[in-house]
Amino acid sequence: MRALRQFTLLICLASNVLWAQNFAVVADHLYTMSDGTQGGPGMVLIRDGKIEAVRPGPHQQPPDGYTELKAAFVTPGLIDADTTAGISGAYNIPADQDQDEATDPNTADVRTLDSFNPNERLLKVLNQYGVTTVQTAPGPRNPIAGRAGIFKTAATGSTTVEQLAIRQESAMIFNLGDHPKNTYGKKEKAPATRMKTAEIIRHALADAKAYEEKWAKWKTDGSDISKQPTRDMKLDALLPVVDGKLPAIFNAYRADDIDTAIRIGNEFHLRYMLASVTEGYLIADAIRRAGVPCLLGPVMQRFESLETANATLENPAILKRAGIPIALMTGYEDYAPKNRILLFEAAIAAANGLGMEAALRAVTADAAKILAIDDRIGSLAPGKDADIALFDGDPFEYTSHVTAVLVGGQISYQRSK
Amino acid sequence: MQFKKCTPMWAILCAAIALCPQTSAAQATLAIRGAKVYPISGPPIERGVLILANGKIVAVGQEDKIKIPRGATIEDATGKVVMPGIVDSHSHIGIIANPMAEDSGDANESTGPIQPGLRALDAIDPADPNIRMATAGGVTSANIMPGSGNVMGGQTAYVKLRGNTIEQMLIPGSIGGMKMANGENPKHYGAKDKAPMTRMEEAALARGIYEKAAQYKAKWDAYNKAVTAGDKTAKQPDRDLDLDPVVEVLEGKRVVHNHTHRADDVMTALRLSDEFHYRLVVQHGTESCEIANELAKRHIPVSFTVVDSPGGKLETINTDLGCPARLEKAGIKVAFNTDDPITSSRLIIRQAALAVRGGMSEEAALKGLTIYPAEMLDLGDRIGTLDPGKDADFVVLSGPPFSVYTHVIETWIEGQKVFDRSNPQDLRYATGGFGVGDRFPAEPRGGN
Repeated sequence: MRALRQFTLLICLASNVLWAQNFAVVADHLYTMSDGTQGGPGMVLIRDGKIEAVRPGPHQQPPDGYTELKAAFVTPGLIDADTTAGISGAYNIPADQDQDEATDPNTADVRTLDSFNPNERLLKVLNQYGVTTVQTAPGPRNPIAGRAGIFKTAATGSTTVEQLAIRQESAMIFNLGDHPKNTYGKKEKAPATRMKTAEIIRHALADAKAYEEKWAKWKTDGSDISKQPTRDMKLDALLPVVDGKLPAIFNAYRADDIDTAIRIGNEFHLRYMLASVTEGYLIADAIRRAGVPCLLGPVMQRFESLETANATLENPAILKRAGIPIALMTGYEDYAPKNRILLFEAAIAAANGLGMEAALRAVTADAAKILAIDDRIGSLAPGKDADIALFDGDPFEYTSHVTAVLVGGQISYQRSK
Repeated sequence: MQFKKCTPMWAILCAAIALCPQTSAAQATLAIRGAKVYPISGPPIERGVLILANGKIVAVGQEDKIKIPRGATIEDATGKVVMPGIVDSHSHIGIIANPMAEDSGDANESTGPIQPGLRALDAIDPADPNIRMATAGGVTSANIMPGSGNVMGGQTAYVKLRGNTIEQMLIPGSIGGMKMANGENPKHYGAKDKAPMTRMEEAALARGIYEKAAQYKAKWDAYNKAVTAGDKTAKQPDRDLDLDPVVEVLEGKRVVHNHTHRADDVMTALRLSDEFHYRLVVQHGTESCEIANELAKRHIPVSFTVVDSPGGKLETINTDLGCPARLEKAGIKVAFNTDDPITSSRLIIRQAALAVRGGMSEEAALKGLTIYPAEMLDLGDRIGTLDPGKDADFVVLSGPPFSVYTHVIETWIEGQKVFDRSNPQDLRYATGGFGVGDRFPAEPRGGN
């Protein structure tokens, strides 16, 4: 029996090795997004799911044992820095909407990980447009909304969220502005104003600090089990935030809400970043002084409220020019389109002052650096995950196509001719 | 001659007219030359010239073959592209104002599913910034419609995007279309325990209003016939403001613009138009390519809305960039609309460009922004191509129409420039942030 099990294991291992194909991706225009000039010809060798070598220069011949994939443009797989894809489904019916636990303004204890559906069709759509990694975050309605995670987008029927995760818990989400007060104020619950939203967040962060001190004191006093402080799931979740171990992401649209985020982030010495940042261009100086990176909301977002009425297609260009680290995100949509396509949003940003290469950087290397996952993804360099997007033209042109996508060295999408 | 005697008086009048910018009769002749011109009615002209006067197109052709009239103002557009003003055959600008707020949303009269008496023109705000944003996208004419929350939503308005009153915006001689909707949206009444709760009832309600209008029409026809025959005792039927526009639909004077996504819903729209013999434009048509042959044999066009990703609502779950191409292959005329605010008017060209990504020919995609939507609004003899005698509505682009890096540089309506990207005030409508006035940082223009 034991022998049979070992034999089966051996077969499985062998077949895994057989399935792991080695690829040579040959590009007319290779954008590695690591150091050096971008856009020249070159070849990327892929072995065992990782990038083995990058060879710049024209007329590259794939070595023996490597399957050749040719493309006009080749880039790292794109990173959507903040989205609800995976927990907010395409059908937009209660059955597939798990992004907002709008029953309590503080849901620090919830995790994207526990709602993420690897087989959500929106993830497949994103993957087909070259997006290989998403930071999926709870939606915009709770002042303290819970923890985001970072996941790959390539799933087969049996893939688990754990297999897709780069970070099971990547950040704590805080929401400012209209959404929280509209959610609770209408039910005559707090918050009904921006003042209260800020207070709820500050209160929780202060409580977490006090909670930490209480536990520390209990330990120094001898860890008497009878005197052990009561565990609090929400405060437990906020501990790494106040300790600066887990980044805080403040989702804010209006300039004064962005300023509120900076005020709270600085007060509690958080490791934090801003998301959406619709009116960021109005206070670029304040953002730069705070030294805070920005995950910029989709430039094609609708003007669906007063706080997004001043959105400009030039926001990424203006903030980038101000020297602020930027990534791009698609956020949350409550109607059609149910999820924006990062590639399309980056294209409009590119065409409105950001430029092609900077836009590409914002959705690859810079996004990876801001999210601290640049050791694994975001650029094409030896040792990195082989997450690659292939295009038949400039990636951002309306009429170009994604011809293939690789995640971890496996083809997750190939365009049928 | 009486005329000669009054010469000094005429001179004063002419001067007065010349000073008045609204009076197109006094416009000088303008020649735009050097651009690649897409007349749409014919192949593109590499170095073309477009001549306009008095709000109309005078001549279009190759630069070396067209004589520019003496005294004409010449604008050099070398390296640029000129195409007809874009016609948006499905928009809610002015009726769902920007920013969207409950107070400014006037598209859906959600108090009853049959509302033929409503007129979009009574709710359109000419000051809505969305209208200027649309001109920043090259839109010059639009079909502004009530929303899709009702089976029969009301009368639509065919407008030019200029003027301070709706009367100045309305295209003379056009009466607009009739908005209808089926599928998901009108079913919202079900939640209030009102009809319609099902697609069955939507169709029944639609059939009901057409039957009623047919009977009303028969009464009026009988009355008019009797009057013509000299019958002085004939009793005039009561006028019904709801049924008059429905009769116009039955008489073919008013086209039905039917919001419909799912293939079976498109078939229901066809079934009704077959039964009551009215003219139909399929609006949205997300799954219309699945029944393309049914549309083709009836010569029914599609005003398509391209949405970036599937879903958001069940009836758009099969959104596919390849659908317009499949319709084209079946010989169906496809227009591209914004459904603004669902997609932004300033990016309407992107709608057609994404259809090209999905396999449509560039020629059909350009027609889908211009002449096809013009035809769907019965305005094909007035707008939609650059031909002598047509309204001087055109767009100047910085480069190829379907490149993301191309910008709309100028938009002209009847010989008047309504958008100029080089004007910082206008630029804000192209990029955004116009609500913040002087706080907008003065930025050097990047990109293209």
